[in-house]
Amino acid sequence: MARLRRASASSKEKLRKLADEELMERVAGNDADAFEVVLERHADAAFSLAYRICGRRSLAEDIAQEAFLSVWRSGGRYDRARGSVRTWTLGIVHNRAVDALRRTGVHERRRASDEGIEETIEAPERTDSQAFDNAVSEEIRGALGELPAEQRRVIELAYFGGFTHLEIASMLDTPVGTVKGRMRLGLNKLRGHLQGWEAVGA
Amino acid sequence: MSARDSDHDCPQLADAAVYVLGALEQDELTRYREHLSGCAQCRAEVAGLQSVADELPASAPPAVASPALRERILTTVRAEAALLSAAGHEADRPAKPMVRWRPRGGLALGIGAAAAAGLAALVAVLIAVGSAGHAKVTVTAGEGLGRARSAQVSLRQRDGRAELVVAHMPQPALGRIYEVWLSHGPHDARPTNALFSVTGDGSAAVGVPDSLDGVREVMVTSEPAGGSRHPTTSPLIRVALPS
Repeated sequence: MARLRRASASSKEKLRKLADEELMERVAGNDADAFEVVLERHADAAFSLAYRICGRRSLAEDIAQEAFLSVWRSGGRYDRARGSVRTWTLGIVHNRAVDALRRTGVHERRRASDEGIEETIEAPERTDSQAFDNAVSEEIRGALGELPAEQRRVIELAYFGGFTHLEIASMLDTPVGTVKGRMRLGLNKLRGHLQGWEAVGA
Repeated sequence: MSARDSDHDCPQLADAAVYVLGALEQDELTRYREHLSGCAQCRAEVAGLQSVADELPASAPPAVASPALRERILTTVRAEAALLSAAGHEADRPAKPMVRWRPRGGLALGIGAAAAAGLAALVAVLIAVGSAGHAKVTVTAGEGLGRARSAQVSLRQRDGRAELVVAHMPQPALGRIYEVWLSHGPHDARPTNALFSVTGDGSAAVGVPDSLDGVREVMVTSEPAGGSRHPTTSPLIRVALPS
């Protein structure tokens, strides 16, 4: 048993050196150890997104769990040409979280706000990868923060609030065309920001 | 910028942002996807904006997934991997010294089998046939299993004794019990005295009291308490043995 564990630990070390895409090839071949490394890398990001969207820890855990089991079971469908493993995984989390929100009905839906988030952030042992994640997170939040408030609001209501553009228009008492325009302007500005240059004229 | 504003802009260009944010209405979504398949300009707009939307998750305040969550996920994954391994390439390997047969090992395999909703109806299981190595067999979860199509079954045999291991089976209805049957051919179902219920998590390990020589299928039905001489319901589980 001890020998088995050592063997397993050393193979885990090898797996940790692989890129996500290589790990997914193994996941497609039912390699649970490879999946564990994928989980290690993306569990926090997945949970953070689910929690940001649904605002309840237990529901966020359920969503993250479903999403990762879906990644495990459909690993063979991952297509690296269509984006990173993280993007793919978080896309699954997003879909499931928004579905869960919509099932609970508009009125129970949490407004896209950061209310109450801080208290649930446990004192983590920061790893390098978490520190990196946090730096990226700061950057994106900074970029969102620099958007005109009305653009940021429609993006957050849509992406994190799970509201449709018609619902947002009605909620904000704003024409649908204006809502769409704000989404587009906001996303284009974010793109400019994330690419390192300021968008001009938007 | 994502698209040039010109006289030739597609009138649906503004929907690209709504689409990548997941904010189209359900009926619009279907139409928009059809539109995308025929509109290169909108496809380009979507591709450009999608890369931005893909960054949005990172703006969520960082939270830490609990160790318990990770453990729950990994427990399911490891169990499914063990089953798939046993049922798939392991089972196809040439005969090698028999895996030591332990009832508890069988149980673990059965439970491991369970969670995979995707695996539900058709599950290959390991059957250890004497010293001849492994042969793959097929389990069909019958319609009666309904919601519990994720039920998992494995059948093991050693020295002429067979054991059926199930997991994630629903409890038998009140006043009923599961009964194991052996079929030697079409329209043949011979009762055994193997009657069983399942634990709270839906598992059970049941010895099959009769020889599997010549048996084509092992079946499980739901019967009135005490069992029946002839099946009164269609099989919940059918394990087809290799001939």
